[in-house]
Amino acid sequence: MAVAAPRAAESRGPPAGARAGSGGPRYPGWLALPAVFWYLLFFLGPLAIMASYSFGEISGYSDVKFAWNLENYRYLFDGTLYTDVFKRTFLMASAGTLLTLAIGFPFAYYLARYAKHKTLLLLLVIVPFWTSFLIRTYSFLIILDPEFPLARALRPLGFPESYNILYTQKAIYIGIVYNYLPLMILPLYAALERMDWSLVDAAQDLGDSAFRAFRRVTLPLVLPGVLAGSLLVFIPLTGEYLIPEILGGGKTLFAGNLIAQQFLEARDWPFGSAIAMVVIAGLTVALLVYARAVGRQEQYG
Amino acid sequence: MSDELDSILARPMNRRGFVYAGALGAFLAAGGGRLAGAAEAAELREQLSGTLYYYNWADYVNPKTYGEYTKKTGVKVKKDFFASNEVLQAKLKAGARGYDLACPSGYMVTVLAAEKLLQPIDWSKLPTVKKNIDPRFRSLPYDRQNKWSVAKDWGTTGFMYRTDKIRERPTTWREFFSLMKKYSGKFTLLDSSPEVIGSIATMMGYSYNTESRSELNKVRDFLLDLKDHVHSLDSATYKQKIASGKAFGGLGWNGDGIYVETKSKGKYVVAKEGGEYWVDTYVIPKGAKNPDAAHAWIDFVYDPRIAALECSYTYYGSPVKRRQLQGKPAKSALTTPAVFPSLKLVKNLEANKVTPAGTRMRERIWTEFKAS
Repeated sequence: MAVAAPRAAESRGPPAGARAGSGGPRYPGWLALPAVFWYLLFFLGPLAIMASYSFGEISGYSDVKFAWNLENYRYLFDGTLYTDVFKRTFLMASAGTLLTLAIGFPFAYYLARYAKHKTLLLLLVIVPFWTSFLIRTYSFLIILDPEFPLARALRPLGFPESYNILYTQKAIYIGIVYNYLPLMILPLYAALERMDWSLVDAAQDLGDSAFRAFRRVTLPLVLPGVLAGSLLVFIPLTGEYLIPEILGGGKTLFAGNLIAQQFLEARDWPFGSAIAMVVIAGLTVALLVYARAVGRQEQYG
Repeated sequence: MSDELDSILARPMNRRGFVYAGALGAFLAAGGGRLAGAAEAAELREQLSGTLYYYNWADYVNPKTYGEYTKKTGVKVKKDFFASNEVLQAKLKAGARGYDLACPSGYMVTVLAAEKLLQPIDWSKLPTVKKNIDPRFRSLPYDRQNKWSVAKDWGTTGFMYRTDKIRERPTTWREFFSLMKKYSGKFTLLDSSPEVIGSIATMMGYSYNTESRSELNKVRDFLLDLKDHVHSLDSATYKQKIASGKAFGGLGWNGDGIYVETKSKGKYVVAKEGGEYWVDTYVIPKGAKNPDAAHAWIDFVYDPRIAALECSYTYYGSPVKRRQLQGKPAKSALTTPAVFPSLKLVKNLEANKVTPAGTRMRERIWTEFKAS
């Protein structure tokens, strides 16, 4: 998004003719070397190892034998057991993204357009990051506990005495929204902050309703921010396994849990690698869709 | 991580320490040899020196034992800790060398031996063990020939419940699982397939380690039926959940059962049908620099006095013969049934055994259970 948003903003400015030619400033390519090196060594390398593991098999107790066959993938798609887990993971990640978007967008909008104490409010969004993710998640065990004052306070509102959401799907979603909300709000805010609100005023002066102006002016301009925030939430959610483990009581299985189970309990690295490869392939598709969406956005933006 | 870093950083220095300690040992042996009482210790010191690199679960040795060992042998102990058998295995497999002694659970001994990550045990260096070990802890399924391991501690997998939360007093797996349904959402299960599946198999009259597909299918059906009644699947914090009353009980290990018994009105039960008894072991990893010191440690803790010392601290069962332990200061541990269940109950227990095929079948059932 850091890339996409400024471009969208620039296209509003004076014609980009000055940069259009090939004579624009050329940056020395070696500046990218440290990052390229890092990715080669710690991302592509391990990824290649995992990809080759996924075609292997267990020999003995946990030794990996490179068999170069598709047995793990066949086992994975044999019946609906594992594909159901993928489906559930996809639904959870999508729902989590939509929820954080629905809750984060109005806040980011308010923050960018109306808020008086922007810095303070932004700080409050970021403050939870100062505490470990694990501790924040564990703290919800206390907050969601049926004995906790919160549950008692809800009772007059019609929640029954025995109402318990801890170790259920609801608890998982509460944990997800809480933990991922800042990742959604920050890119949304960055995009909305750059908005030239006089454009919205102009649209309304020319007869657009407030909603129409939002849909036709604001939304297209902040769409890169929306997409960036959604990706920042969606991608890690597909690998999320701590929140279901802790707040869901370990009773719900997502792709992340399945992978961890294969590596840590079953000692079946080849099968675990195959599952991970399927998740990565799915994410690649999502990223391609994103790239296309952003590309289109640039054309029309 | 930092423990590991520490020990790597500290190693060159300790190699030097090795030389000094050796010289000191030789000096003591030469100079102090005439002192009658010190003769035996001096002899030991002559053979042993340097440092014992001990890789273990955290908090699994009485701190006093380290001091007594160093006093007797002159060998310093350098500690490093792991959190699961799989971490230990991954580390040894990745090529970590220099640990002299490690404490995997029984099933992991089979795995480590098959992967050639262990050195054989030299029983001629373990006279005290040979004299004091309860025969029940020799030739176990994970190491039939006693070639790779010596038992360290043992315990059981059973269930626990709060005596003030339920009126029933279950003594069998069948009763326990039916209570899970009666008090739906109030009992926990371990988040671990071998224990849960094995215990249900035991209830049905099968072997804890069954690999029969038809038997495992029946276990699966029973397990899937339990899903909606489970409070949570949890191996790490379930004891607190039960002790605080958030759950009324759960399937678990005796060490956690003792926690529940001490912190609340609770009881730990070894089921009448049987179930698992797990054994943690001593092994000597390949590449150990000081296997003599490792053997000396194992032999040292089989001294009944030291074994009792350990027992009173860890509250895990000792593989030393029970009558050898009598009258030693481990009295309260000895009279706690959760530590030393009656021999009648022990008779029905089975040691956990893993095979790749069995693991895969169990993992599949477990995935089905969690995904349902």
